Amino acid sequence: MVFYSLLCCAKYFKAIAMEQQNQPLEDIRIIKKIMEESSRFLSLSGLSGVAAGIFALAGAVAARMIIPQDIINGEGYSESFRASAEGSHIIRMLFADAALVLILALVSAFFFSWRKARKEGKGIWTPVTGRMLLNLALPLAAGGFFVIFTLGSVPGNVTASATLIFYGLALINSSKYTLGEIYWLGILEVITGLATLLLPGHALMLWAFGFGILHIIYGLFMYIRYR
Amino acid sequence: MKNILANINKAFESRVRLGIMSVLMVNEHADFISLRDTLEVTDGNLASHLRALEEYGYIVAEKKFINRKPNTSYRITREGEESFRDHIKALEDLIGK
Repeated sequence: MVFYSLLCCAKYFKAIAMEQQNQPLEDIRIIKKIMEESSRFLSLSGLSGVAAGIFALAGAVAARMIIPQDIINGEGYSESFRASAEGSHIIRMLFADAALVLILALVSAFFFSWRKARKEGKGIWTPVTGRMLLNLALPLAAGGFFVIFTLGSVPGNVTASATLIFYGLALINSSKYTLGEIYWLGILEVITGLATLLLPGHALMLWAFGFGILHIIYGLFMYIRYR
Repeated sequence: MKNILANINKAFESRVRLGIMSVLMVNEHADFISLRDTLEVTDGNLASHLRALEEYGYIVAEKKFINRKPNTSYRITREGEESFRDHIKALEDLIGK
């Protein structure tokens, strides 16, 4: 009987000792987790990247059909073409196409993030969400102004390049408040944008690569990683 | 052994306090509601731990009105930041990192 109670005591103390040993580790783990969760918007879903990429590819195909063949074969549209009635109509169509892609991408980003947050039992709106969106919106709004005010007065590849560069900078800027991998997507978008500036003949293809292929690859990577 | 434990701060023994300090380390300020939702604790529990940390001088409360509703926002003090850093360092030493 005495032996049995001694054994119990020994077991009890051993359990306490083990718990104490693990506690600092568990504390560190909790500190890290809370710091991360309270400072970053983590509900961003990889699927929204895939959806945005698909919309962008569809938009690029539509743009390919809107732009007349001789312009695709040539070095982009000339100044006289931009000034013509037909030219400005085509530029307006392209602008509407790009705006539609942007709206569909934003709606799907919101939808998939909302779904992911709900699945994790979290709200989509935290103080961090606002900070992330503000940091994303500032460079994006500057880019939007630039694109709208120079539309038609600069070559098409400059417009395509500007959308990629400003978008990439917006991603880099907001990466502090969301998944860190966004930073690298931003870098790649900026590089693609600069390439679009240097290779006017491949502007549409590079635009489709930047907004389409990069998003799909990134989205699949993130979806598998954070599933 | 005593040497290693010297920097373990009694003020941070509770998990709730650990959580409050973690949030305030990476956010300039956080209000009561968002702290409660992040840490998933009851109002009473959170309030008592916030008060304790305030008494240590590790955090300060700022009361203001947003849309005529009272809103209490918390901020970490320099002293709180230093103490919490020391505490993390002590924890890491304990697990031999």
